[in-house]
Amino acid sequence: MRTLALAAAMLALAAPAAAQNITAPDAAVPEGIKVENPMVPGPSLEGNLEGNATAREVMVVLPPSYASSPNRRYPVVYYLHGFAISGRDFYDYMQVPTAVADNAAAGREFIVVVPDTLTKMGGSMYSNSPTTGNFRDFVATDLVEYIDANYRTIASREGRGLAGHSMGGYGTWAVGMTHPEAFDSIWAQSACCVSPRSETAESAAAMAAVPYENVDEAGFGMRAGLASAVAWAPNPKNPPYYVDFPVTENGEVDQLVLAKWANNSPLAMVASHLPALESFDAIGLDVGDMDGLVRDDTMIHEELEKFGIDHQWEVYPGTHTDKIGQRFSEVVLPFFAEHLEMGE
Amino acid sequence: MLRAFAATCLLGALATPVLAQDAARIEWKTLHSPAIEGNLEGNPAERGAYVVTPPGYDEHPDKRYPVVYFLHGYTATPQSYQQDMRFDEAIAQAAAAGNELIMVVPDGYSKHKGGFYSSSPTTGDYENFVARDLVDWVDANYRTLADEESRGLAGHSMGGYGTIRIAMKHPDVFSSIYMMSACCLEPMVLTPEVAARIEGMNEADVAAADFGGLAPVSTLVAWSPDPTDEGFLKADTGLKEDGTLDPLVNYRIAANSPLVLLPQYLPALNGLEGFAMDIGDMDFLLEPNRLFRAELDRFGVDYNFALYEGDHGNRIAERIRSDVLPFFGAHLDEQN
Repeated sequence: MRTLALAAAMLALAAPAAAQNITAPDAAVPEGIKVENPMVPGPSLEGNLEGNATAREVMVVLPPSYASSPNRRYPVVYYLHGFAISGRDFYDYMQVPTAVADNAAAGREFIVVVPDTLTKMGGSMYSNSPTTGNFRDFVATDLVEYIDANYRTIASREGRGLAGHSMGGYGTWAVGMTHPEAFDSIWAQSACCVSPRSETAESAAAMAAVPYENVDEAGFGMRAGLASAVAWAPNPKNPPYYVDFPVTENGEVDQLVLAKWANNSPLAMVASHLPALESFDAIGLDVGDMDGLVRDDTMIHEELEKFGIDHQWEVYPGTHTDKIGQRFSEVVLPFFAEHLEMGE
Repeated sequence: MLRAFAATCLLGALATPVLAQDAARIEWKTLHSPAIEGNLEGNPAERGAYVVTPPGYDEHPDKRYPVVYFLHGYTATPQSYQQDMRFDEAIAQAAAAGNELIMVVPDGYSKHKGGFYSSSPTTGDYENFVARDLVDWVDANYRTLADEESRGLAGHSMGGYGTIRIAMKHPDVFSSIYMMSACCLEPMVLTPEVAARIEGMNEADVAAADFGGLAPVSTLVAWSPDPTDEGFLKADTGLKEDGTLDPLVNYRIAANSPLVLLPQYLPALNGLEGFAMDIGDMDFLLEPNRLFRAELDRFGVDYNFALYEGDHGNRIAERIRSDVLPFFGAHLDEQN
């Protein structure tokens, strides 16, 4: 918990420090909650050029009545983690089993599924890239099919919600807009990477100069930039990163590369994905008022307003991390209970 | 008695085709497209389409056929294409060679002379008009082989753009595609000058604009729509008071560029049964097509390419006959 706050502070300060992935102590598992952690095969990830594992650990949290009601089917909330953290550590930090237990006690029973998408660069961005692997498709197809085949789910769109925090909030937008057939409702917490990322000639050159073997020491901000680059402007012919850096041979900013990045930016995607956004039963987004991402998240709220897309929007007192576990339990899951088919 | 006899004859006539269909038949049909409803330009949700059935369609009521959808170009209509392409003759010729297909040519025209087969609240959702509403209607009203293995998508110029766009975004609808002289592959860059010129146009100016003057308007309404725009275009040029452009506008536009979209949609293109593109060696779109091919090559996407002697339009009718329809004959599944 402290490490996550520390890493968030590092992001905020852009302090150059040794980057490590965030860890958290094991989550408490309340009585009656069962947790499984299958390795889910990812055909969509096969052949990725970073050598990221194609079978991913997925935390599956089953509600209290799951064992005692063998004929009951349950809605599923897919919950996407942020950058530089594994699915398991995010599940721990968020105390997902307690959130599932508390909601069940209030009559809202869900299966919550947290897939791991940690990559060599520190995060998949939940995007489709031959360099990192097609994580967008992994979440919306491979994972959903596996969960529906192996658990008693309400195996249709009406029974599926998608949520995530930070990079996972970004993933909620990106996966949701491109795979609206899979999910009924979505909620993005403190979403990162909403507006198009830009570079100067200097910052682009600095990115291109990071030695491949030293990525882990490049600092949180640089690592996040590299993770975005390999996810959004892959180039299978350009090892070792297999990326097009946003810099031309003349040392200028490569506008085509920036356009490719922008093409993965939820803010730039909204206008061309309105039918997908309109198809959701409900959309929610929130961010803390002390989060550096409040401006970005306000922009996508305004873009949705402009196009008349109904959504729930809240700026609450808090930082990028201090209230997110509480809000997942007290706001996000109750939101899905209102909109998903709940079974019984 | 006489009446009963007449009724029997009439019933017989209904049950048996009166005339054998020895030529392809081309019919102009209208269907309702929910995807176009509610657009801000008033483009009709009742959309027309040519449907061409091959010779013998009536005589073989148990036979089902593969379907090729063909998307026309900018400033054009299915009717203007039919004058040049003679789709019915092309389908009859293919059938005579044993390649029996239904062909469908939908109306992609809009207030500003072309919807770019894109999805915009200002122009309407032409993308889903083609990929969803039209396909559903054709499958419901004709004896088609109603699955992706027997559906092809082709188009010329703006229609070539529509072909690759729809193939990327709707991978489960069409199994094979053919792009002819595709436009709009690279991101279009709106400059402050062009934005200012568009801002200065009134409705009469837009109506009177030539090709070069209108094209940036048509793409702007398709790719940077803005329902809150107080002007008549209902689009966002991004022009600010200080004369500079909001960079988001060009990013929004670029989010419709196949060259830029490509890395995200490789699984869709790699899943195609057949993928072909061609262009004339004197076509003004040669360079962006070369760039697009270089990207396909870089990502290892399989496709057939033909460079032929010609310009943007002078050999399209011929190539539909010599290459496009035979390509679909080779790739689409026929009835067993």
